Amino acid sequence: MPDRRYETLVLLHADLGEPGAKELAERVKKLIEDQGGIVGQVQEWGLRDLAYVLAKQRRAFYVLFEYRSTPKALLEIERNLKLMDRVLRFVSVRQAENAPPTPPRPVAARRPEREEPEFEGAAEFEGLNEEVP
Amino acid sequence: MAERERGERRGKGEGRGFRRRGIGRRKVCRFCADKSMLIDYKDARVLGTFLSERGKILPSRITGNCAGHQRQLTLAIKRARTVALLPFSAAYP
Repeated sequence: MPDRRYETLVLLHADLGEPGAKELAERVKKLIEDQGGIVGQVQEWGLRDLAYVLAKQRRAFYVLFEYRSTPKALLEIERNLKLMDRVLRFVSVRQAENAPPTPPRPVAARRPEREEPEFEGAAEFEGLNEEVP
Repeated sequence: MAERERGERRGKGEGRGFRRRGIGRRKVCRFCADKSMLIDYKDARVLGTFLSERGKILPSRITGNCAGHQRQLTLAIKRARTVALLPFSAAYP
């Protein structure tokens, strides 16, 4: 089965705290890799204000994963994400093969006092690293 | 490309066939005008400009978006809503 390019944006519970969120993000990354996915860029947006109250929370940690996997593996990844109770919500989207990788921090930081998020593993998809004009 | 050409033709055809009601400039789809502008569900700042104060999606009749881009836009807004980047509804101002 050919693998496809996906990205998943995951919302983690605010009570985890910065270290806890990082740890869980690492677990999600491992989950994707265990399903045969090749993780490219992982973006941590940090603690952000939610647009509405979700699971009695006003904030959540946002983490974006860019990876390649088979459609079957994606289903399994999503099933496992649903089982993690510290994952409030997620959305998976298939990306076009020629789409540029998500530029760092596409969403404006609502809390400017926060330092720049770190990036683990730069996106190394072949031919996808063209600069966005 | 195709969207813009169509728009221009319609502008020239004024007076014949359909007559534009009222005065004012013809709106142009922002995503056709600026090709570098991508519709991305993660970009809440851009998507937010196509919402009413109440958080509802503005119709293309008001924003001037072409049909194709409006479809992409609504999908992106709905995705952004599920991950709480945009509100489903906002308090009445």
